[in-house]
Amino acid sequence: MADEPATTSEPPKQDKGGRNGGGAEFAALRHLLVGPEQNRLEELATELRDRHVSAADLAEHLPEAIVLRGKRDRQIGRALAPTVETALRESIRRNPREIATAIFPILGPAIRKAIAETMAALVRSINSAVEHSLSARGIKWRIESWRTGVPYAQVVIKHALVYRVEQAFLIHAETGLLIAHATAPGLKSPDADLISGMLTAIQDFVRDSFRPGEGATLRTFSVGDHTVQVEAGPMALLALIIRGQAPEEVLRKQQDTLETIHLQFAAPLAEFSGDTAPLQTVHPLLEECLETVVDTDAQGRGEYLWMRWVIPLAIAAGALLVVLIRANTRFDRAVAALENEPGLVVMNARRGWLGWVITGLRDPAAREPQVVLAGAGLLPRALKGRWEPYMSLDSGVVVTRARQQWALPATTPLSLRSDTLTVSGDLPLSSLGMMRQRGLPPGVSDVIVSDSRVILPPHLDSIRLAIVDERVLFAPGAAEANLGERARARAVAIQVKLLADSVGAHAGELTLTIIGRTDPTGTMEANQALAQWRVDHVTAIFAALGVRPDFVRGEPLATSRPLSAADSAMQARINRSVSFDIDVSTRSRMTRGR
Amino acid sequence: MLQKKICMVGMFATGKTCLVQRYVHSIFSPRYLSTVGVKIDRKEVNVRGEPVTLLLWDLEGRDGNHDVNPSYVRGAHGLIFVVDGTRRDTFDQAFDIRESITSQVGEIPCAFAFNKADLTDEWQLTQADEDAVSARGLHVLRTSAKSGTGVEETFQWLADATLQKTGA
Repeated sequence: MADEPATTSEPPKQDKGGRNGGGAEFAALRHLLVGPEQNRLEELATELRDRHVSAADLAEHLPEAIVLRGKRDRQIGRALAPTVETALRESIRRNPREIATAIFPILGPAIRKAIAETMAALVRSINSAVEHSLSARGIKWRIESWRTGVPYAQVVIKHALVYRVEQAFLIHAETGLLIAHATAPGLKSPDADLISGMLTAIQDFVRDSFRPGEGATLRTFSVGDHTVQVEAGPMALLALIIRGQAPEEVLRKQQDTLETIHLQFAAPLAEFSGDTAPLQTVHPLLEECLETVVDTDAQGRGEYLWMRWVIPLAIAAGALLVVLIRANTRFDRAVAALENEPGLVVMNARRGWLGWVITGLRDPAAREPQVVLAGAGLLPRALKGRWEPYMSLDSGVVVTRARQQWALPATTPLSLRSDTLTVSGDLPLSSLGMMRQRGLPPGVSDVIVSDSRVILPPHLDSIRLAIVDERVLFAPGAAEANLGERARARAVAIQVKLLADSVGAHAGELTLTIIGRTDPTGTMEANQALAQWRVDHVTAIFAALGVRPDFVRGEPLATSRPLSAADSAMQARINRSVSFDIDVSTRSRMTRGR
Repeated sequence: MLQKKICMVGMFATGKTCLVQRYVHSIFSPRYLSTVGVKIDRKEVNVRGEPVTLLLWDLEGRDGNHDVNPSYVRGAHGLIFVVDGTRRDTFDQAFDIRESITSQVGEIPCAFAFNKADLTDEWQLTQADEDAVSARGLHVLRTSAKSGTGVEETFQWLADATLQKTGA
């Protein structure tokens, strides 16, 4: 401002030589023409200077002013709250790390406090629930709720309620229109706008009727156990509908809320003409006014104090009894399952705190007791017992014993009638050997195997197949093989002897069939004779190499059942031959002592 | 939510309450009129697709010697003035009463309901009376509590007029 041309209300002076006489006249003219505006400019400049001074002064006194006002009421806090919130939000948006670092030291204690309070609330809630559910009073209320059809919570409130702020109305003072309304959970008030209008009308009615002093309003009125408590502000009224006797704190909270609403929503309230949209955010403030206080320490509880313990104890005892009965039933079912199991004999069974103790006799072929109980779904956490071996003649155990003793596969069917065991299906050569070697198990005196088929182990079966595939060829019309074919016959004989020894070692019986064929040339009688000679020829070679003739059988087929080939020459050649077939069997019956 | 305060006024026994009772939601007894002097009803209307709630302050009928209670009309957004078409005296003081109200709440939309239009044999008002209302820039409709004629139209016009006035 110092560099600006000076403005003054006085006319400018003329300089010495009168050289600027024209200028002076011009200044005078200017003063006449724009003098008032110049004066106004000067005033504005002064005002601006003063404002700077005021800001400096303000900076000097602001802290004290804030402290002084803060002691008087909470308006400073309320006025600054939106600005501080905006500043915080902006700061967090710009640099969240800075804020996180700043508040880190208080985060831990805050979280711990929150958890502690939550746990305390939970404990209180459990205490309250136990008390209400198990006390004589709680049971009485339950019965009342059931009898009258009124929800239990409402019955509790009816009997134990100290007070409950059920509804809050924020009403526009001038029009009586409802700005916002909040109700306690479970309550409904669909005509809040009509009630709001009528509340205003009644206010007016009372004021007009009794003509109290300026600003006086109908502050409270009661109907039954409800009280309507109205706080009036310059632009809005806050009415609370309270059930029961509300303490002074409710009124103070109501006043605070109304003041806050006037402070935060001053502009929308002043401009209100029926549109509640700009005031929607006032709703949480109303909800804060709603509260329910129930006296859980009401009198009449002491005389039934003992009931609080007797009833839980009775329930616990009942539960224990149920558990014991169930455990006993389970134990009895388990013992019965063991007694019904073939090969097990229960001698003694008792149930202790640490588990079950069961002793008895067990056939080694029977199932383990644990397996029996697990199969029935009755296996206890701890099962002890001593099982002495014994020999069971139960048919199931005898069959199992035979299967175990002879290493019979599970696929081989066994059936026991009286003491005669019948084996059918595939019978492995090894099991056959065990039958001969280990004899008959207890409970079996006769075994019938005629329906079974002896199965060779793979290494022997491959020898059998190799023998069956061999063929000793003959020249046309020849009854004896040439040297090469004789060597082939001898090789087959060695294989047959090896196989026969192996089968014999397992008590099997091998039958070798030597099949003689001829080509179709010649008469049937001649060919039949030739086929017999060829069989005899090979049989002699086999006998010379130690193949016992008692299990060799000759079958001179001659031209019947000829072997087939691609052409007639080849067919004639392969049919001038001796081939082999092998069958393994066993004695059809085994009897104890024989 | 948009709400408007509408006052229904008129001389004693012009049929204000009967006129609207079939068309509004009410939870208060008509006895309120003779005790508190006002009964409040609700009427939902739709203006250009927007729901508007009219809170109807049904004011006790006046007998000519009393003004309308200023407390009850304070802040009103609209006015329904009910005239009994079979009683000329209910119209004669209408403009005075209206002036008394506007002196308190300022110029607000006002609809004149010439009620009991079904009683044509006893009708005492003339076209000149209707013209006199219209000449003041006010809305006028013949209504009948018996047949319902003109009732919905009156509400609709008033809701529309209050929104136009507030620029909504």
